[in-house]
This record gives sequence, structure tokens and C-alpha cells, in this order.
Amino acid sequence: MADKNQIWIGLTRVFQDVFDDPGLTVTPTTTAHDVEGWDSLMHIQLLVAAEAAFGVRFNTGEVAALKNVGEMVDLIARRLDGGRAS
Amino acid sequence: MTSLSVLVQHGRYSEAWSQLLDESKTVSDHAQFLALVRQRDRLAKTAPRPPAPRTVRLALLGGATTETLEGPLALAIEATGLGCEIRRGQYNAFAQEILDPDSPLLASPLDVAVLLVTPANIPTWPEPGDDLARVQQIVDEVCGYWVDLCKRLHERAGCEVVLNNFHPLPTRPMGTAGTRLPWDRNNFLRRLNVALGDRLPPYLHLNDVDALAARHGLFRWFDERYWYHAKQPVSFECLVPFVRSVARIVGALFGVTGKCLVVDLDNTLWGGVVGDDGYEGIVIGEGDPVGEAFKTFQEYLFRLKQRGVLLAVASKNDENNALSVFANRPEMVLKREDFVAFKANWEPKPLNLRAIAAELNIGLNSLVFVDDNPVERDQVRQALPEVAVVELTTDPADYPRLLDEAGLFEITTLSGEDQQRSQQYEQNVRREALRQSVGDYRAYLGTLEQKAVLAPFEDRYLDRITQLVNKSNQFNLTTLRLTRSEVEARMQDLGRVCVYVRLADRFGDNGLISVVCGVREDTRLVIDEWLMSCRVLSRGVEQLVCNHLADRARAWGLASIEGLYRPTAKNALVREHYAGLGFTLVEQSADGTTRWSLDIARFEPFDTPIQLVKDY
Repeated sequence: MADKNQIWIGLTRVFQDVFDDPGLTVTPTTTAHDVEGWDSLMHIQLLVAAEAAFGVRFNTGEVAALKNVGEMVDLIARRLDGGRAS
Repeated sequence: MTSLSVLVQHGRYSEAWSQLLDESKTVSDHAQFLALVRQRDRLAKTAPRPPAPRTVRLALLGGATTETLEGPLALAIEATGLGCEIRRGQYNAFAQEILDPDSPLLASPLDVAVLLVTPANIPTWPEPGDDLARVQQIVDEVCGYWVDLCKRLHERAGCEVVLNNFHPLPTRPMGTAGTRLPWDRNNFLRRLNVALGDRLPPYLHLNDVDALAARHGLFRWFDERYWYHAKQPVSFECLVPFVRSVARIVGALFGVTGKCLVVDLDNTLWGGVVGDDGYEGIVIGEGDPVGEAFKTFQEYLFRLKQRGVLLAVASKNDENNALSVFANRPEMVLKREDFVAFKANWEPKPLNLRAIAAELNIGLNSLVFVDDNPVERDQVRQALPEVAVVELTTDPADYPRLLDEAGLFEITTLSGEDQQRSQQYEQNVRREALRQSVGDYRAYLGTLEQKAVLAPFEDRYLDRITQLVNKSNQFNLTTLRLTRSEVEARMQDLGRVCVYVRLADRFGDNGLISVVCGVREDTRLVIDEWLMSCRVLSRGVEQLVCNHLADRARAWGLASIEGLYRPTAKNALVREHYAGLGFTLVEQSADGTTRWSLDIARFEPFDTPIQLVKDY
């Protein structure tokens, strides 16, 4: 099983890098509305950065369906465990 | 290296800018590059970018999303040394934006328009079963459609235009049979790419996306997922090579490109150390895998030389040892004569690079340095930050590709001058030898048998004139850069004097070496552009031009000629240019700009050692 804590740490770094804000924190329920500058293009940059950071690949449908950061962590965990999209 | 945030905290903004731009030249990872783009945006809010020699006003139009490209493209252009202001069109609205007379995108002046298109923007594809003639007809139509749109863009905004060609489609439904079917879509795209190249007017430049996608791999270049999501034309992974390619084209259009490649010898041009191994022991040429790699690198350098890049040597070597390889190893592709400067000695490399730049009369920022030794590279980087240093691996098989990838010698058109340049510098070396033997300078000029053509701008020389206007730094009174379109507009302006000078002598043709523009204002002829290639400094061309300007002013019934000198970091050479021609100083501004005047009534024409001819 993938260690979700490790994923949290890694994903928080991805957010901090992409938004260039070392103090940025996210919670499972953080959505695009909560972070300034998180628009559709930033969303793609985040996913591309997360793919590179965790060595995973998201499906086209998954990219659109993610509602909050918690779902992102779950998706990465599933991918790391070899799971397919739900 | 001090971190960027520390530099910013201490208010060392110009250092912060140069560090940021330096870093952006070498970063290849897209995430790191995007991080630099964000840092750039933040820095720009705190401290404006230090002034650049020219700020390029650029419009980005696209049949795909251009939003993600804007920041990276701006940074890539700034990394070349130019300033950059980008305006962005709406997604897939390029046709309206070009054709609508009220389009806000084109309402104010532009230097460059980049039109980004993808296979999804191709208006007509062949139908299955179409024969070759029909496919060729569609190729012509589609090609005409793009070229025509670009022509309108050029005419409306008076700008250079950068279009791209098309990368292949990622699927091949016709399989191998597609290669024999003219209507196969990939086959069609190949024909279209070639046809576009064949039909480029001088102001239109083709970003070779087909070649870029091949280099980086089509499946990496194009990511369908982000096309479906955001109409992203290039994957994030390949964003950097894409924007760098556009930035190099823009750089080349505005004269930011290398002129001279300075190479080391031992383990750079050949394998081994000639001082230790002797010329018989060094590795070069067929029969040895490493020898073949060095041979291939020399062939690449020779091709660069053929298209106008000057080659020079800076090597820590005994000169006779270094020359013995050229004399005794016929496998050497490059000969001693291929180099316009040859420094084989024990001086530090930065000193030799300075000497080479001085000898060739070019700026240090026109030099590109290639050396297998990382210590030498680092020393040059530290001592001469203006010189572009190519990062090499320890494998000579990589050298040609690494130098090529660095893209430091980009050109968008090839002029006849480019191909003769190396020869012209060689002739200069021989002229210098004659000068030393003749002694008296005036007598020497007489023995040169100089002939010149001085004539108004002509279509056939517009490329060369534009090149000179954008490249000359030292003998350049105002450093007023102009695009080809601006040069063309001046040529057609009847209120202007716009002349070029070509110069030949007994050693050969120097080519088109001087450009001067003046405009009539009241009773004065105001000279706003006067530049000359330093190769022909003090040969009498300046006086010849001055005589001509006086004739023109007199013919127009003007009272005086007014000259302007605007100082830059590089043109101190001509600070006293007008004084030397007998002008009087009329005004000096705080920034060092000086204004000079020559009274036509009192002007005595110069006696010059040059014969004016209609042609030679």
C-alpha cells in the first residue's frame, strides 16, 4: 500500500513549487477556489508536475474529475498501487 | 552563487535579473523552467528588467492555446538579451484577428507576429483516393491560405512573421501503404511542409516544428490528453525546446546571434594531446571510432564555416606543435586556412578570446567558445560572461549535437555575404601584411586599388542591409535597429536618403559594408543611421559617404547636414566620427548623446583613395 503521508508531503511540495509559495499548505478539502491563481491552466501544470514527481500517469477523464486535493492524493495512491481509474 | 531571493532581499536587482536570465539559458527541465518564469514575473513586479538594446513587440496568435506559452516565450526571448512585450490573441481566432480591420491585437505597432498552428487548423485535407495531381492542388491551396494570411499580417502590422510547419500525426491508419498513397494524411503533411518552405516571402520565417518533434520524439512532443483538455499544442515536457526555437528566430531577426566559433584543439578537434603524443599519435579520421567522432565534429564545423560562421582557435599549445597536425595529418577535415584567427600559446584563454575579438573587430558577445576542458570553460564563463560557452560531455560523439542544440548561430535567411565572409576576413589578413610592408598609410591605400558602388537601397540587398543594421555595434552612430519591413519602408520614402556602399580592392570583394540613412527636416538633412563594417575602417569610405551626403543636401537646396551620435557600450570608436569629418558640435545631452552640424556652403569635398563605379 502506498504511504499516503509520503504522498501528502510530496504533493504539498508540488503545490509549493508550482505556485512558487513555500508557505502554501493544502488540506484534503482544499479546492481550486481556495487557492489564488489555481485556474484551469494551473490545474494542468499541477497535474503534470505531480505526474513527474510521483512517476505516474493520469487518464484524460481523471484530469477533469478531480474535485479537491484529497482526491488527488487518493488517485496518486491508487496509481502507485497499480490500480486503474475508477 | 547567491540565491535569487537573497539578491532580491538586498536590492541587488540587476544581479538578480542577470542570474535569472543566465539560469534560464541552461535549464532544460520544463518544471524548472516554469519555476523561473514565475520568479521572473515576481521579480518584474519588484524591479523592472534592466534596459535591453531592443525591446521586441510581439503578438502571439494561435489555432491552439497560447496562454501557457506567453511567459515561457518571454523568458526565452529575454535570455537572448532582447527585451520583450507580448500581446496574445484569442484561442483559434487568428483569422478574424488578422482580417478584422478593428482588431485590437494589431492596433499598435508590432515587430514580430508569431502564428502558431497545428494540423487541426488545416482547412482542407485530401479525400481517400485523390490522385497526386489533386493532392498537389490541395497542397497549393492550403499553402496559399497560410502564406496569404501571413502576408496580410505583415502588411497590416509591418512586422516579421513566424509561422510553423506541421509535425506528423501520431497514428498511421493506412499503415505502410500510406507511403505510396498521395492522399495519406501524413504523406500530405510532408508535401505541405516542403511547399511552405518553397513559398516563404522574405518576411515570413518557418519554425521547423516538424524537425523539433522528430528530435524530441513525436510521442513526447504532443500529449493528446492536454490537447483535449486545454488545446495545448506542445506537451509541457517539450515547452522549453519549442519556445527556445521561436526565441532564436526572433533573436536572429534582431541580430542576436554568434559570429565566430572559437575552438580548442587537443581533445576538442582531435583525440589526444599533440604536445605529448606528437602529430602521428593523435586520433582523427576513419579507422578508429573516436577518430570518426572527431572527424564528424570537424565536418559540422566546416559546414558552419561554409554558411558564414568564422572559425578561430584558442589552444594551450606550442604553436609549431599545433600546426604540425594540420600540416601532416591529411585526415584533418579542417585546414589551417579555415581559421581566421589562430592562437596556440600558453596565455589564459580569456586573454586569447579578447585578442581574437579585437583582431576580427567583433564584440565578445559574438564569440562562442567550445573546449573539452571544464576548467577552461569555467574560467571563460567567469572572466568573460558575454561569451557563449557550450557545455560539452566527455564524449566527442556528442559534440556536434550539443553545439547544434545550443542554437547559437541561428539565421533565418542565407545571404551571399554570409557564404563569403570567411574569405573576406582572410583577405583582410593579407591587406594587413601589405600595409605593414608599405609603411605610409596613404600610399598603402593607393596600392589597394579600391573601387566602390554607392547607391540607393535596392530590393536585392534588403536582406544584407537589414542584417548589417541589426548586427553592427562598433561603427554604428545611433544603433538604430530596423526590421526588414522598416528598411523597405525607408527605401520607398522619397523624403529620405538611404544608401549602401559596396567596396572591392585588389584582394577581393568586401561586399556591402556600409549603410547610411538621412531624412529631410526643414533645411537640414538629418542622419539617423550611419554604420559600417569595421573590416573597412579608415579606408576612406566615411569620407566618400560624407561627400555623397553633401551632394544630396545641396541638390535638395538644404543648408546643413545634422549628425547624431548616441553612445552605447560598444560604439566609443565613433564618438568623434563627426568631428573627424569637420562637423561642429551643437548639442550635448546628459546621456552623452551629441548632435553635430555641417554647413553645406562651406564644405569642401574630401579627396578619397576610392574610385566610384556603377558596378564591379
